[in-house]
Amino acid sequence: MKAATNRLRGVERDIVQAPQAGDKAPYYEPQGNEVAVFEAAYKKRLPVMLKGPTGCGKTRFLEFMAFQLNRPLVTVSCHEDLTSSDLVGRFLLEGAETVWQDGPLTRAVKAGAICYLDEIVEARTDSTVIIHSLTDHRRKLTVEKRGIEIEAHEDFMLVISYNPGYQTVLKDLKPSTKQRFIAINFDFPPEDIERKIIVNEVPGASPEIAHQLVAAGRKARLLKDHGLEESTSTRALVYAASMMGAGLDAVTACQVAMVNPITDDIELSEALMEIVQAHFSV
Amino acid sequence: MATDHPTPISEFLRQLKEASVVAHREVEQVLPAIEAHGVQVTLAWLDACRRLFDFDREAGKAFIRGSREVEKVSETVLPWTEQALVFLRWRGSWRALEGFMANLPRAFGSLGHAGERRWSEIGFSWCARQIESGGAYFATPVLDLAGRQGVIGIEQLAQPAEELFETRKLLLGTYLAGAIRVRNLLGAQAILPWALRGADIMQAGRARGEAYFRLESEESLALLLEHLPGYRLADRNRLLGMLLEVWFGTDYELKESSWSPEKGRPFVEIDGRSLYFPAVMASRDEAILGVLHGASHMRFGTFDSLAMKEMFSAAKVEFPESGPVSWAPLYTRYGDDALRFQLIFDLCEDLRVDFQAQHLIPNYLPRLIAAAQAAPPRPVEAAAYFNLALASLDEALAATRARGVRSKRFGPLLDSTATVADAFRVATAIYSNDGLPHVSELEVFHAAYLPGRGPNSSRLAHPQQRQDQQKQQTQSGADSQEQQEQGEEQNEAAQNAEAGDQQDGGKRQEVAGLGDSSGASGRQASKAEQEQRNAGSSDKGKPYPEWDYRESRYKRNWSWVQEKKLGESNMAETGRLVKQYSNALKRLKKAIQAQKPTRLAPLVQQLDGDDMDINAVVSYVAEKIAGRSPKPAIYRRREMRQREIAVTLLADMSTSIMQHLPEGGGRLVDRVRAGVLLFAESMEEVGDSYSIAGFCSKYRDNVTYYTIKDFAQPLTDDVRGQIGGMSGRLATRMGAAIRHATACFERVDSRRRLLLILSDGRPEDYDDGGDRRYLHEDTRMAVKEAVSKGVHPFCITVDTMANQYLPQIFGRGHYLVLDHINSLPNKLPEIYLRLRR
Repeated sequence: MKAATNRLRGVERDIVQAPQAGDKAPYYEPQGNEVAVFEAAYKKRLPVMLKGPTGCGKTRFLEFMAFQLNRPLVTVSCHEDLTSSDLVGRFLLEGAETVWQDGPLTRAVKAGAICYLDEIVEARTDSTVIIHSLTDHRRKLTVEKRGIEIEAHEDFMLVISYNPGYQTVLKDLKPSTKQRFIAINFDFPPEDIERKIIVNEVPGASPEIAHQLVAAGRKARLLKDHGLEESTSTRALVYAASMMGAGLDAVTACQVAMVNPITDDIELSEALMEIVQAHFSV
Repeated sequence: MATDHPTPISEFLRQLKEASVVAHREVEQVLPAIEAHGVQVTLAWLDACRRLFDFDREAGKAFIRGSREVEKVSETVLPWTEQALVFLRWRGSWRALEGFMANLPRAFGSLGHAGERRWSEIGFSWCARQIESGGAYFATPVLDLAGRQGVIGIEQLAQPAEELFETRKLLLGTYLAGAIRVRNLLGAQAILPWALRGADIMQAGRARGEAYFRLESEESLALLLEHLPGYRLADRNRLLGMLLEVWFGTDYELKESSWSPEKGRPFVEIDGRSLYFPAVMASRDEAILGVLHGASHMRFGTFDSLAMKEMFSAAKVEFPESGPVSWAPLYTRYGDDALRFQLIFDLCEDLRVDFQAQHLIPNYLPRLIAAAQAAPPRPVEAAAYFNLALASLDEALAATRARGVRSKRFGPLLDSTATVADAFRVATAIYSNDGLPHVSELEVFHAAYLPGRGPNSSRLAHPQQRQDQQKQQTQSGADSQEQQEQGEEQNEAAQNAEAGDQQDGGKRQEVAGLGDSSGASGRQASKAEQEQRNAGSSDKGKPYPEWDYRESRYKRNWSWVQEKKLGESNMAETGRLVKQYSNALKRLKKAIQAQKPTRLAPLVQQLDGDDMDINAVVSYVAEKIAGRSPKPAIYRRREMRQREIAVTLLADMSTSIMQHLPEGGGRLVDRVRAGVLLFAESMEEVGDSYSIAGFCSKYRDNVTYYTIKDFAQPLTDDVRGQIGGMSGRLATRMGAAIRHATACFERVDSRRRLLLILSDGRPEDYDDGGDRRYLHEDTRMAVKEAVSKGVHPFCITVDTMANQYLPQIFGRGHYLVLDHINSLPNKLPEIYLRLRR
């Protein structure tokens, strides 16, 4: 048992790695029909776009699906300096020779993995267009520098995530990119499921605490339109429960996990703290 | 009796009788008391009587009349007789003497002999300065002057007044009454700043100044409220609004009440429609509890019309058919004891409502109880009510935890089906059975309320339809009703539109004429217009289509936009704004500069540049060795990416921006000007191409688009002056303005185009026939068109109700509601920077 944990923690692993026998399935609590939709899309190898606010479980869902489908998952977090070579690959010098090194996308295409481009809007548009040929009937990746084309492995699948809530109007996916995807909308889970998630994610969290956290989270999300860029996420609730589990008092735990991270606005944090205090002070 | 007196006294009395019978009679009444001090004293006093009487009959009478009481309290005669004679120095001093004599007993009684001497000295010095001021001084009751602080209190009052008299010629009479109130409310240190401001105002206008000193003018009240200690609700309006939204889900209207410190303890008031908060409350907890409690009344049926009717009929009081309802008839039948009943009734109703609020707001009751326990001790009579209320809350809390433990007295109220009529019944029972003390003083009455609670019936009530009734109505029923209403509206609007169509020919000319006179001056605009005319468009401007949702089609050439230069310019205002916001601007510029290295992401993989792009070099060498011939794009360059983004700031210049801000401190337009100015100055620092425009409209064929700064134009003082001269006029046909702004983007070749719309309300125009949806839908279509032309519209609004319509028009994440109008100037550039990152 210990050996198995060592294999997982603090040890280099290749990014393309299928789930192994004996691995524990990632915990995911379905909210609706997203599992069925994803399975159908996978059956037809159609690219999928996961839409929804930060911290509502997009990434976890994908880990779960990859495990269910027994496919390796290659995750690339996109940022504004991400170039196409970062995705596709580049030549490296080795002595007097050059060696081509595949980028994560290329490796996923070859190995038949699920490639997950997280927060794709952050990437520069010139790097997002290279996925076009992968997302339609061609399922090909062009490696321009080597002058070759790779036919995708039959199990390869492309998934992107996209958060439409960001107030950066200048950063949006091009419609031509968007319409190549099957889109699944995510939102924060319903109360009972959210409670279940907290109890499952945080060992030792009592149903009562989960109940209060979820109720407080609901109320906090009502303030979204008052200048919050992101509202209180399920992840934040889980963090708050974890901090409580680590011995912090409830109000402080909520403050550091649910209030401080999302706003600098004094009045907003005051209002959020009112909600927290109402639910947790005895 | 008179015959017993030795000669000088009887001789004197005889003379007095000849002069005045009345005076003689009055002297005779006082004389016995004076005579107890000996003949010399009596003669001195009589001499003073005569001299004062000769000097001024009224003065003499006042002296004689007052003497008896003074003698009794002071047990002396000579000291104050001598003081009274001082008044002989000034002409017309009888009024001052009258006040002096009236106040003497109290002066001796409360200040002692030494204090009395000081009090009179101060008064004499004022008489010497100006006799009316002296009169005002002596006419003011000593106790008011001293304010429980003895002579020190009087000196505190007089000192600033002397200073102001010397420097500003401010008369004591003008100052005194107000100053006493200011001192009582805020302490002595507050008097001088308050009075100095008043003296300034006095110089600007006498009537205004006097109103200020009487504490009747807005500005003096505002100044007072500003210095009152406690939690300022007006500044926390936004927080309170957010809390209401969080706990009650709806936006109850929050208004500031006209409370001022003399009205006693501040309370949150309710009328069934809105919540009224006082400017200041004792603590944050009390304020928040007050607002939550008030909203609970509205939510849990204190104003429920059915229950109110039931209650009124139980009290055998007629319930008015319509209009606001006064609570007073419920109390008047208790006569003198009305306050007692009111307290009991409020206690019951508050308990009922608070019990229900606990289900909505976790930990509400414990918080209420904690606040009450922490409250300072009350007067005995008030404490009886206060403690009963506290006990009832404890009971309510117990009832929420362990079901079934309910006392007979309050039990019926601790039930979610109880109504205000039940509260009234319980109150009536408690009134007749319990020995709660009688209450007559307002102070006691106020003190009887727990923190957060207050008199529920301080305003006329607007009865509401019952909440659960509304809920019980099936969804479909409610919907169909709504639809019906909407349908009616639509029909009306459609008719209006048709009517407009028919009249069109004649109306258009008329309107065009109106536009010319109401718009900016034609002179300055003429050049641009002529150019346009030469280019083939008429003086009616440029036509744009408009979307009609009722017919699902565009009306061609429907709205006409005239582009003009803003005629008004106000460099003085601009100068003032620059000065006022110079710190904010400095901060903004610093922030922009700090952002620059990351913001101006260095251009990588360039063919030439200042630095090597290491990544590019490596791949260049690698590819070269691999036998390919890559382009030598191995440099990086730090340079502004010119023409990357173009932005237009489009300001709504409709009449509504001229409104005064609810929180005071000027008008909305001041913030708009400041915001636009700061935006322009920051844009110079950022280096993006930008233009500034404003728009307003009157009817579809008269939409005016003021170009304040075009993309190519530099930011000159002329432009700055125009920003200072921005003002509001007419209405808001937003769709047409968006279409025109979109068209203007054709003049620039930037790839990313941002249209920032600064608005304060929904799109509306004179000819929309009250059908809001029409212009909403048109604006939505205009936004869509803009997006398809590569322009990103983003709306910034200060309308707090905008959440209701902006999501439909601009889409999620494409608008921002500013809760604080005052933050607009600073926020506007910040928002842009965030949008462009």
